[in-house]
Amino acid sequence: MALPISLRSSVTPPELELIASEQLIEIIPLISMDKTAFISGAYGPLRPPAKCKLPIWMATNLKLKKKCHIVPPDWLSVDFLQDRLTRETSQLEFCAMPFRFAEIAKIVLDVASDDLENPDKIRSLLKDLREARQAKSREGITKLDHSELSLPNLCSMEINEIRPFFIRSMGVLTQLTRHPAPADGA
Amino acid sequence: MSSSKVLQNSAHGPGTTYLAFSRDGSLAYTGGNDTLVRVWNTKEGADQEPGIAVEAGESITAIAVGEDCWLSGSEDTEVRRYLKDETVMEGLVTSGNGAAIRSLAIDPKGKRVAVSSEELDVKLIDLEDPLKISLLSGHIKCVRRITWHPSGSLLTTSGADGKVIVWDVSEDEPKQEKIIEGVIPAVSDPESPEFAHDCSVIWHTSGQYFYAATRTHEIVTISRSTWAKSSTFSDDSMLGDVTALALSANGLYLASSSQAGIFIWSTQNRRVLYKHPPSPNATVTQLAWSPTQNLLAWTDSEGILTRWPQPIPPSAPDPVKRSGATSVTTVPMQRKAAPSLFDDDAVDDNKGKDGAEPEPEVDLDNDDWILDDIGDGLQDEPEEQRSRKDGLVKEMVSVTKAQPAFQPGSTPWTNKKRYLDYNMIGVIEATDQDTHHIVNVEFHDKTARKGMHFTDHFKYDLASLGERGALFACPSENDHLGHVVYKPYGTWASQGEWTYELPKDVRAIGVSAGGPRATKSQRVMSDGELQGYGNVVVATNQHEITFLTGSGIERISIGLDGDFVTMVAGTEFVFVVTRDGATTIDGSQNLLGTMWEFDEFSVLQKQKLPIPKGSTLKWIGITQEGAPAIYDSKGVLYTMPRFRIPLRASWVRSLDTNTLERREGKDESYWPVGVTADSIMCLILKGRQEYPGFPRPLIQELPLRYPFRRKDPKEGPLEEHIARESMLLNIKRDALGDDLTSDEISRRELALDKELIQLIQHACKNDKLPRALELTGMLHHIPSFDMAIKVAGFYHLVGLREKMEALKEDRMSDDRLEGAREKRKR
Repeated sequence: MALPISLRSSVTPPELELIASEQLIEIIPLISMDKTAFISGAYGPLRPPAKCKLPIWMATNLKLKKKCHIVPPDWLSVDFLQDRLTRETSQLEFCAMPFRFAEIAKIVLDVASDDLENPDKIRSLLKDLREARQAKSREGITKLDHSELSLPNLCSMEINEIRPFFIRSMGVLTQLTRHPAPADGA
Repeated sequence: MSSSKVLQNSAHGPGTTYLAFSRDGSLAYTGGNDTLVRVWNTKEGADQEPGIAVEAGESITAIAVGEDCWLSGSEDTEVRRYLKDETVMEGLVTSGNGAAIRSLAIDPKGKRVAVSSEELDVKLIDLEDPLKISLLSGHIKCVRRITWHPSGSLLTTSGADGKVIVWDVSEDEPKQEKIIEGVIPAVSDPESPEFAHDCSVIWHTSGQYFYAATRTHEIVTISRSTWAKSSTFSDDSMLGDVTALALSANGLYLASSSQAGIFIWSTQNRRVLYKHPPSPNATVTQLAWSPTQNLLAWTDSEGILTRWPQPIPPSAPDPVKRSGATSVTTVPMQRKAAPSLFDDDAVDDNKGKDGAEPEPEVDLDNDDWILDDIGDGLQDEPEEQRSRKDGLVKEMVSVTKAQPAFQPGSTPWTNKKRYLDYNMIGVIEATDQDTHHIVNVEFHDKTARKGMHFTDHFKYDLASLGERGALFACPSENDHLGHVVYKPYGTWASQGEWTYELPKDVRAIGVSAGGPRATKSQRVMSDGELQGYGNVVVATNQHEITFLTGSGIERISIGLDGDFVTMVAGTEFVFVVTRDGATTIDGSQNLLGTMWEFDEFSVLQKQKLPIPKGSTLKWIGITQEGAPAIYDSKGVLYTMPRFRIPLRASWVRSLDTNTLERREGKDESYWPVGVTADSIMCLILKGRQEYPGFPRPLIQELPLRYPFRRKDPKEGPLEEHIARESMLLNIKRDALGDDLTSDEISRRELALDKELIQLIQHACKNDKLPRALELTGMLHHIPSFDMAIKVAGFYHLVGLREKMEALKEDRMSDDRLEGAREKRKR
């Protein structure tokens, strides 16, 4: 494969985005379409101006062709993110965020920033949120031991970042604990 | 163009000079750089010897006049109080803590004075008790000018930081109501000439809006309700900064000064009426109208007081006498009971006022008080009105304000934009560009129809977006007669478009376009053309509605026996709402809804609208299934599902928005756009907002729910759903004609049967046998009966089982569907 060795064992962020695109998001269609069958399921019918739930991949496709408006999910608003950010900076644990929030937020911001109110503020809030969580995951890694690492509320992207390091270091730690170092004396 | 002689007096030396008239107009006070306040008699000429007040130590920076005293503020940080008409100092009101006084303003009642100085806070001092001081903090630089709202409950401060802050001072604790930025220029250096310019906010006497001089050399009107700019005064001959503004006593004239001289504007049409040439080298620093005479005076930076007697010639309305149109409203907007647009005896009602003449044209920007009459008009106490009308014998004793004719889906002008029609097909928006409008038509479903926009020189005020084309109507103006224009879709070129001219006295008061729904995409209008361009209905002020075909052929003119209120056209019929006679005394609008079919003009339905007393009709429309729907001001939606049964249908309450869960704790109202099978599509309006604004809000869906009262968490929603679905199926079945049934109906009946079985199971469990039997009778399909029998068997209810089996036998013997078809044929 053409991927560098370090990336071969883990998933790349674009792949994660693709996986996240399977989730449903609400849109306001601008075209009408009957109920159509796709591999993952049958979606539609699209009857403007009524809203409809479609997978994100389809929504982005339509949006890029200017055939729909995307309704941002509830958590992608200034108030919600602001609230979570304050919680994140005040507590030690990670606060609960939708599992694939980073991917979905990125997709929506790229494709449909005009359907969001205050996209710049949302971008900066997401950035702050990411930095706060990164700091916590860095600290969390220090608690790594051979049998478990519990980081509740960690999200898909973040897990993906830690994964390669975490797997190898856990392997090393397991070996160390299995063959304990010979006692100092010699 | 008045060129009457002005009287000039060299009042003070060069420097910023301030001016105020006494409340009775007999005296004028000027204060200037030479630390003196001179008191001039307005009746005497230029050669009078003015009284002098000498107490100030440094230049005078502000003068304010109260009911029984007048105040002067000076750079020596003191505010001095003088007896009315005298030059003897009574005492000190306050001292500025070492900061020069910048502005003084006494409220219209003469009770409090607002003092601003080089300090950041504005002090609000009670004149009776100078120890009662409230502080208003909010500006980040000193406040240059202060003015009061005519009601005395709002205070506006213009600061050197460029902000105008509106304070609500009606309570003991003053509160900031609004901060307006970007209007006045930000000038902080007291030495600069711009600092001396009068940047105060001039409230109109009605209290609804104020004028201010902007940093862009214009005068803007800002409305009190929206705090947004609603119009501009501009004239090509006005040069440079506007240095001072003053409003005449009755609010009809606004005087402004600039490098080009003194301009007097009419506040209604924002045109310059009269001018006075400027004095070279001197900028006018304060303008003031006499409160009791036709007199305008100003002081300038050279220290000269100029008085212009009779600036308004006698042929024009007097600047002092009040007319009925202008009156003060207090901060909680209370409607005045006075001149309504519908009572002819408005003139008699003015007996209490100063014998005014019929009021001049109401300011077109200020639409809200026309429309308020609809909702709140019913708050008029009938007894009070009746007693006023005692001397007159009129035919109509009814006192409820009749709601005026309206186009459903349209909004009034706000900030030069309005919606002409907003429905399930699309939106028609209009923007006012003063000489013409720009009309923008956009569709929700972009595959079916292509949007367009055009410049409209006729100023269309009515429009309807129909299934087959868009309809516009305009009233007659000087250069053209009123007419109706129909633009079919598909070919926006002039081919299908036609104009229907109305003769001189005829005006369209309602328009609607209907027609069969498009079956194919109308971008390629090949097959669609065979189906025609739809139908056009126009309601005119001649008490009739005219039907035309989609290509402009007149078909029939049907007379209406009442006042036209509104109408909407669907695929097969047009639904017209008229007023049967007059409104009743106890608050009912007395509306009657009639449906005429397009093909034969037969009356399909004629039913009174069930709008409760005290509420008005807000919207009418046609659901996706073709049934008419109405929405009243109390937030209840009614539909007429059995409309196909001629003359037998009634209005069904389909949704009471007051009981929606999302309504809890929120102050919101709903503006309907359309109704589908299960939901109402509407726009959510927050708070007191009555109409949607711009940019266009998104359509939300609210589920329909019959306002049933059963609170049982399991059974209640099921029963409601079954009732609603059955009604929906009725609509569909009515449209069947000769067919026995259709696939969709069978499917829905099956789903409904499943829910009925659930309810039967519930009833059996709770031992409600008669209910279970009744529910079994409601089942549609024979296999469902078997299911019900099984359920009864499961609960060991033998008696019930037998009865159910008997019902099944009955059902099998007479075919339900055939029976229904027979009924339809009748």
